[in-house]
Amino acid sequence: MPLMAGLMQRFAVQRPFEGLAIAACLHITAETAMMVRLLRAGGAAVSLAASNPLSTQDDIAAALAARYGTAVFARAGVDRRGYYRHIEQALAKGPDLVIDDGGDLVNTLHTRSTALLPGVRGGCESTTTGVIRLRRMAAEGALAFPVIAANDTAAKRLVEGTCGTGQSAIDGILRATNTLLAGKTVVVAGFGASGRGVAERVRGLGAQVIVTEVDPVRALDASLRGFRVLPMTDAAPLGEVFVTATGNRDVIAAEHMSQMRDGAILANAGHFDVEIDVRALENLATAVYQDVRPHVDAYDLGDGRTVLLLAEGRVVNLVAAEGHPPEVMDLAFGIEALALAWLAGNTDKLEVGVHDVPADIDAEAARLVLAAAGTSIDALTADQQAYLESWRIGS
Amino acid sequence: MSADQLPFQVADLSLASFGRKEIQLAEHEMPGLMAVRAEYAPSQPLRGAKITGSLHMTVQTAVLIETLTALGAQVRWASCNIFSTQDHAAAAVAVGPDGTPDDPRGIPVFAWKGETLEEYWRCTELALTWPGDGGPNMILDDGGDATLFVHKGAEYEQAGGVPSPAEDDPEEWVIILDRLRNSLADHPGKWTKAAKNIKGVTEETTTGVHRLYEMANTGTLLFPAINVNDSVTKSKFDNKYGCRHSLIDGIKRGTDVLIGGKVAVVCGYGDVGKGCAESLRGQGARVIVTEIDPICALQAAMDGYQVATLEDVVTGADIFVTATGNRDVITAGHMSRMKHQAIVGNIGHFDNEIDMTGLARTPGVRRTNIKPQVDEWTFPDGRAIIVLSEGRLLNLGNATGHPSFVMSNSFTNQVIAQVELFTKPDEYEVAVHTLPKHLDEKVARLHLDALGVRLTTLTKEQADYIGVTVDGPYKPEHYRY
Repeated sequence: MPLMAGLMQRFAVQRPFEGLAIAACLHITAETAMMVRLLRAGGAAVSLAASNPLSTQDDIAAALAARYGTAVFARAGVDRRGYYRHIEQALAKGPDLVIDDGGDLVNTLHTRSTALLPGVRGGCESTTTGVIRLRRMAAEGALAFPVIAANDTAAKRLVEGTCGTGQSAIDGILRATNTLLAGKTVVVAGFGASGRGVAERVRGLGAQVIVTEVDPVRALDASLRGFRVLPMTDAAPLGEVFVTATGNRDVIAAEHMSQMRDGAILANAGHFDVEIDVRALENLATAVYQDVRPHVDAYDLGDGRTVLLLAEGRVVNLVAAEGHPPEVMDLAFGIEALALAWLAGNTDKLEVGVHDVPADIDAEAARLVLAAAGTSIDALTADQQAYLESWRIGS
Repeated sequence: MSADQLPFQVADLSLASFGRKEIQLAEHEMPGLMAVRAEYAPSQPLRGAKITGSLHMTVQTAVLIETLTALGAQVRWASCNIFSTQDHAAAAVAVGPDGTPDDPRGIPVFAWKGETLEEYWRCTELALTWPGDGGPNMILDDGGDATLFVHKGAEYEQAGGVPSPAEDDPEEWVIILDRLRNSLADHPGKWTKAAKNIKGVTEETTTGVHRLYEMANTGTLLFPAINVNDSVTKSKFDNKYGCRHSLIDGIKRGTDVLIGGKVAVVCGYGDVGKGCAESLRGQGARVIVTEIDPICALQAAMDGYQVATLEDVVTGADIFVTATGNRDVITAGHMSRMKHQAIVGNIGHFDNEIDMTGLARTPGVRRTNIKPQVDEWTFPDGRAIIVLSEGRLLNLGNATGHPSFVMSNSFTNQVIAQVELFTKPDEYEVAVHTLPKHLDEKVARLHLDALGVRLTTLTKEQADYIGVTVDGPYKPEHYRY
């Protein structure tokens, strides 16, 4: 993780979080451990809860607590109540800054731990799902502090969504099922950065890909890239593998699942387990055989057809594989750490609401990643810069 | 002066300087031929060869012709298709690199775009007729027309005359018989003598190769033949990479439609179909393949293409391409059900893959010519489809066929095959031969430098380990590449 390693040295000198308490809600993985160390190098006291009950790697959690002095509240497979209790525990000390991944921590702050709100100066949100929630909160006037939407920068969309999710969602499907994708019809719901990454890569493996979309611009993009675009109702009877990457709920619903072919595989690459309506699948099924392989549940539809649900409909790339490769999280966390450091010095100037990552932070992160990889790029000459800034010179 | 006495016959000599410029550009893109020139010109292996060529008279063919002459051959040329001559290339070949339109010093070439069938066979006969009424001692053929003419001439000379055509014989066969009848009357014994002198033929295409094997099987083949078509560096490259290049070129020149987002149906997933599907997908089309062969169909499916029957997808697709080598693949019935403004074209060798006769006979259909090789056919309900090149090879009709680099592979095989047959007559009995694999590999090798390819060399130990020599051949004969 060359970007974070470089930032570690920079933060150790600049100490942007000196004296600040940071509460974070993140997937408990090796990359998150690196993030925690980076925040601590910058001077922060860090407390940490898991952002998903299934993604916690207990060895990492233990190492963070034992070796890096972090207040960690996470255990793999914890139930819903335990999950939220962990978040409340991570918040208990009263954070100055928060980092969230999906919005559950910020939501808890605004609903159950409201007493702590006055002390919070700002935060970062890592995922698109979380940002959607935050914007709704801000629109309703419910949000109490400025938050930077660290999910959505140009560099991150490319590397994390398209490359990271694109690669790891397929990794999760393959590890769970070992199915050959060549020749299969794969339905990808959503053609955002992640969906596009899945669709392009799965096509590279020889699958026929059908894309479903609600956004006409993205649908047009998919179509012009040679993907078949259909409504889910029409795609459901055709697909052999379904991957959801929309950020929305009930994308695969009862009406779709009842149409599916025998052996259809359902996987979700979106953040929450709402994209596939698992309860509806349970209602359709006459019998459920859990863990026919690890992370594969077989739903017998009672008419000779069986549908396979991966990772209980939760994010397949984290549950059935190892989540994003470290390079992706290096950039994502690097941007988030740079943004949080910038926020720490500017909380007075920022209004309450959701803010984008300043473009120069994104550029700085990309520049550091390129430099670490030994890639040099061109710099604008003074003449070129002047040309771009002028409007008088035409043809 | 009768046409038969002209030293050459082309459309317009004033096109020669344009042709020469295009030839010079092509030479850069034909590194195999230029390398062969550099390697063989000093030893002049084709000195004494009198080669009659029957092959599309294009810019690329001009580079082939001038390679043959650089190796010492004398050459006479005709095209092997009434429409395929590029008149500026023919003019440049007639004028030659050292001549002028007023003082042409090239080779005798008899070819122009838009010959009648009578003119076509007269040109073929002129290319086969050398000064002093002799024939060639080598043939370079594409489709087998020159070889056919000599064989039929010799056959009828032996039989004592040319038979009368049957009533249902095609028009073209009647024309061939007429020409041979005149020839036998004027120059008795000419073709028997010519056949005896011919050391061999090198054949370019599947169609011509098919004829040669038939003659060999029936014992009627009169001289050795090398099947250039089945060199790996010919058929695989021509078919796949050539068509991958020229298919979308033809579609774009013909229609200028955006290919991204369109649904394209490719009929046939052989080498040509694979190239077509790849280029259409590369432009962003969603490609559907139709196949009758389960192996090719499975290949298409594993490559991620939807495989369907034409019946099932004919109403939904935007672009249709036939690449099957079979007849009646797209019928008039199919075309009548296509979307408005669907584009229909063929890239298979013959013009029978799309049933144009059936389309023309559809009640109430109306043909509107948009521009050369692009026709709109409007059905009575107002829907129209666009047919490219009247169902003939659209990559040749709407674009310029295979690019120079691909043809350099084919033609380098041709030159090497000519040298083989001419210099080693004892090694090739009267039969159809393919070029030995080490020469196929040589053709490929000659094209690597131009692409910046750095080839790895086997160590002696590695070569021994896989049972080959360090210099090749590297693969067994049955290897499929």
